[in-house]
This record gives sequence, C-alpha cells and structure tokens, in this order.
Amino acid sequence: MTEVYSVSQVNTYIKNLFAHDSLLGYLSVRGEVSGCKYHTSGHIYFTLKDASGQLGCVMFASLRRGLAFRLADGLSVVVRGRISIYERDGRYQLYANEILREGTGDLYAQFLRLKERLAAEGLFDTGHKKPIPAYPKTVGIVTAAAGAAIHDILTVSARRNPYVQLILCPAQVQGEGAAVTIARGIRRLAAMNPDVIIVGRGGGSAEDLWAFNEEIVARVIYECPVPVISAVGHETDFTIADFAADLRAPTPSAAAELAVNEVSLLEGTLADLHAALLKSMRQKIADCRGRLNGLSVQIRYTSPSYQLQQQRLRLADLQTRLSMLFRQRLVLSRKETALLAERMKAVSPLERLTSGYSYLADEEGHMVNSIEKTGPGRQIIASVTDGEITAEVKSVRKINRNR
Amino acid sequence: MAKKEKTLEAAMEELNQILARLETDPVSLEDSFRLYQEGMKLLKYCNDSIDKVEKKLIILEEGNGDGV
Repeated sequence: MTEVYSVSQVNTYIKNLFAHDSLLGYLSVRGEVSGCKYHTSGHIYFTLKDASGQLGCVMFASLRRGLAFRLADGLSVVVRGRISIYERDGRYQLYANEILREGTGDLYAQFLRLKERLAAEGLFDTGHKKPIPAYPKTVGIVTAAAGAAIHDILTVSARRNPYVQLILCPAQVQGEGAAVTIARGIRRLAAMNPDVIIVGRGGGSAEDLWAFNEEIVARVIYECPVPVISAVGHETDFTIADFAADLRAPTPSAAAELAVNEVSLLEGTLADLHAALLKSMRQKIADCRGRLNGLSVQIRYTSPSYQLQQQRLRLADLQTRLSMLFRQRLVLSRKETALLAERMKAVSPLERLTSGYSYLADEEGHMVNSIEKTGPGRQIIASVTDGEITAEVKSVRKINRNR
Repeated sequence: MAKKEKTLEAAMEELNQILARLETDPVSLEDSFRLYQEGMKLLKYCNDSIDKVEKKLIILEEGNGDGV
C-alpha cells in the first residue's frame, strides 16, 4: 500500500497486462479515420473515431502490405491489430496489421442526411438566393483572424478595389464550438448591414471543414438578410454552408474576386458613360441645328422677296424664249423671202426677154397682147433686153390657141 | 443620412436609361438639356460614391456589441 513505483514500472506493468489479455492481443476496430499522417519513416499515424470517442493508431512501415489503399481522413475503416502501451507517452494505441475499407464514413452519412433534410425544408432553394451586389462598399468577412483565408481575401480585395471597406469578424473555423462562433459572426456582421458577407476558411481535411457542415451555420446563412458568399477552401467538396449560401466560391480568393468589384473597370465604365452622355447631347444639338437650318431654308422660300426674285427669273426666262423664237421666225422669213425672190426671178419679164420673148406695146405705150389691140399699118414697140424695136404691123391673123 | 442612399447600380441604371432616351426618344432640346444635366449629376454621384479613400481592415473585437 505504501510502495511507490516509477512511471516506467507502471507502464511496463500495464503493457504486460495488455499483452496477456486475449481480446487486446488481436482485435478488429471499426471507426472513421482522422488526423492521418504518412510519416517520412513510412509509418502511418492516424486516429480512429466514432461519435463519442477516439483511439490512436499506428501502422508500421514493415506492415504496410496490410493496407491496400491510400488512407485518408473521413474514411470508414476496420483496423485489425493489437492494443498496446506506448511507454514513452503512457498512452495506449492500436498497432495495425491490416486496414480494410468500410465505405464512406458515418460523418458523411450524417452530412447526407442533414443535406437532404435542409434541402427538403427549402434552405437551398435558388429562389431564396439573393443577388450579389455588383458594386459593394462594405464587405463583411467571417473567418479566422490569422489564417490563409483572410490573407488571401485582403490581397485580392486590395488589388481589385482598395476603396472597399472590409470588416472582419474573427471566428473559430474548426474544432469544438466553431460552428457557433461562425454563426454568431454572421449575425454580428449582418447587423452592421454590409453589402455582402464572405464566410469561409482555407482548405483542410473533411473534419477541419466540419463546422461548415453544421445546421446552425446553414440556418444563419439562410436567414441572413445580407447576401452571403461561402468560401470553404476545398475546390471539389461542397459543404452544407455552400448549399445554403447565396453564392459558392471555391476558395477565399475566389470569394473576394466575386464580392469585390474591380475599381478600374468601374472607372472605365463611368468614363464610357460620360463620353456617351456628351456624345448624345452633342448629337442632339447638332440635330436641332440641322433642323433649324432646314427650317430657315424653308422660310426663305416662302418670303415675298424670294417670290419676287423667282417671278423675275421666270420673266427673264420668258423674255429669252420670246426673243429666241422671234429670231428663229426672222431667219425663217428671210429664207422664205429668198425663195420667193427666186420664184419671182423665174417669172420676171426681163428673164423672158433674154430667152427671145419681148414685150409689145403700141404707140401710146399700151400693152399689145391680142390682135384686137393693134392692126395693119399701126406701129408696135417691142422691148428686148438691150432696147426697143419700133415696127409696123403688116397683117394680123387669128389663131385659136385653145386656152 | 435622412435620405435613402441610392446604390451605385441604381445610379448607373438610371444613367443608362437617360442615355437611351437621349439617343432614341424624340425629346425636346429643353428636355434633353435637363436629361443631360441629370446624367452629369448621376455621373458625379457614381464617381463620388467610389469614394477613393483606401480603407483599412476593421477587425471586430470578440464579444463586443454581440446581439446573439
């Protein structure tokens, strides 16, 4: 009763006790893998857990052929081996000879059940999702105060738009009670009415991200009046928070890209709008000026002085036409006259004289064109081309010419 | 802060509508001047609301003003 043992003695004693136990010498344990580490030595360290407890495990490099797949967190497995004391730490653990896969873990089944229940309740309805504002002024962030996530968000946000106010509500993003701090953070930020809230953390094991699979977080996101972007840094796996969020970003950096608008683009857009406004106003003025010019031309046409000028022009035109016609008429008349002169020439008595005809007159100058107008013994004066011949009529004889 | 603040998006939407009216509607010159002035005002509002002051991160203290 009063004997005092050394630590090593106690550990050795227990180790012997375990070694002689029929069950602990060889047993199979079912559980979910977490904290799995492949050590450089080739040994694999991990923890088996279920809803209420956990058990440290190790598989030595020499026994690795007992493991046919890559061990990873969240896997449900059955481990065969013995339980013994690790004397250095005074801790018992399971020394694995063989590890068998048991399909996906209980936590995953729990995740699926919760997802189904919340989906049925409408927490993931697209109709409920709020649009993310294009130009936020204030962005709330719920994540760990010292982590890759906040660093990434700050970097991206500062690059895109340093004029946006970021408010960080630090939260515990993994471990016991994390979900409660995340939920509280969202509520606190929502009360400050930022334009959008980013909730997230950097990547990690399924277990690390577990807080984002809890119902309380999903409900707070759903009820949050401010749009929420989830940014649980795991490209491929969706968390419950992702489904409940208004927008899911694959990483915190991506969330910052989605939440914070690029200020240079906005400035460009505003410059374009300014130019468009100026252009349309100038166009408007130019149009008005053009219409005014058109009207002033129109009004000039109706003015009396214009009318007068038009009449004058028409008059001048008529005058020109008149004188032209007159000139034409003149030319025509001259031609006609010449023609008549020709014809006159053809019938002129002088012409006849040259061809041997002559004009006969009596002593008193009366034309003799019939035997009635003369008689034997009477004189006759015949005009020829170069003078007159005076002759005496010897006789007259009637000839019927049948005119 | 008595008047409800217009969002940048709303202002830009309004500006786009003004532009559409200026470009297509047969508005009078007086009206177009009014629209133009309104547009310039909105543009100034947009530019102002970018508020080009670099903001420092605000970190809320634990348990401060916690309404939960």
